[in-house]
Amino acid sequence: MNLFIKIIMPILLLSVSSLIFAGDVNEDPLERKVLDIAAKLRCTVCQNQPVAESNSGLAKDMRAVIKEKLQAGRGEKEIMQYFVDRYGDYVLLAPPKSGNGLLIWLLPPALLLLAFYSAIMFMKSRNKEKVVTSPSPLSEADQERIRRARKAMDESGENE
Amino acid sequence: MIRHIWWVIIPVLVLLFGLLAYGLTSNPKHIPSPLIGKAFPTLQGKDLNGNAVTLGIVDGKPTVVNVWASWCAACRSEHNVLLRGARRYGDSISLVAINYKDELSNAKRWLNQLGNPYQWSFYDLSGRAGLELGVYGVPETFFVNKQGIIVEKISAPLTDKMLADGIALMIK
Repeated sequence: MNLFIKIIMPILLLSVSSLIFAGDVNEDPLERKVLDIAAKLRCTVCQNQPVAESNSGLAKDMRAVIKEKLQAGRGEKEIMQYFVDRYGDYVLLAPPKSGNGLLIWLLPPALLLLAFYSAIMFMKSRNKEKVVTSPSPLSEADQERIRRARKAMDESGENE
Repeated sequence: MIRHIWWVIIPVLVLLFGLLAYGLTSNPKHIPSPLIGKAFPTLQGKDLNGNAVTLGIVDGKPTVVNVWASWCAACRSEHNVLLRGARRYGDSISLVAINYKDELSNAKRWLNQLGNPYQWSFYDLSGRAGLELGVYGVPETFFVNKQGIIVEKISAPLTDKMLADGIALMIK
């Protein structure tokens, strides 16, 4: 009996409570879809917050419109276009891959390539400078002196 | 070779700093409306007296559509501009309103106390008509020519000059 109260009872109670919690987190797929679309739209009165996260009146209205249109069977693209038609590309958190928006997408990789190119060019030119500073070929007279010195060293047996 | 690189890097830097300067000096609240050049949508609803109305350009007259609310402080200063404008341009244009997310009694009291420059007001309690028009907040003003095309949209309290410029654009 003691064992039952101390160990089995708490385990039973805990398992019951976890079951209740599990029931609560069951989410509505429509609500999820509304938030998915709202996350891609800028709340136009709060500058850089997505519609999904904003509590402003306009964002709430926009979420209501998204929900209504989803229930009416409209697709995500159609709903996004509805807002773009009224609020402009500004309402999209990711700029469109056309027009001015294309510049935003292409400029960073272009700059990165340019940086790589200039780095390679810089290193190449530095290598070239080294070749230029290497000594000029020896004159015939100097080479003759080296030969004589080596010969003298061999004859005196000091080599190795 | 190194010297040639500068011919590329310097223009790119100038371009980047130019974009940065443009971004920092331009007003982030000024967003050009995609509705300019488009037809004004037809909206059905009720006016402040509860009568069924259609907001759309039907009488072939250039129309100024002003979005306002009694809770909007900036609308108060704008109201005098609209009262003057209604007197000055009343014959050549229509001036109608969208009352945006407002308490009906507050809206009526506002018009009684401050004067009513509008021919009538569309009552948009839910903000749905505002959303249909890409409204960010109040006050906002649409200038619609007699063909029903939106020629200008101002997302700020109007001044006498802005009103005159907008009207000049729509009766052109």
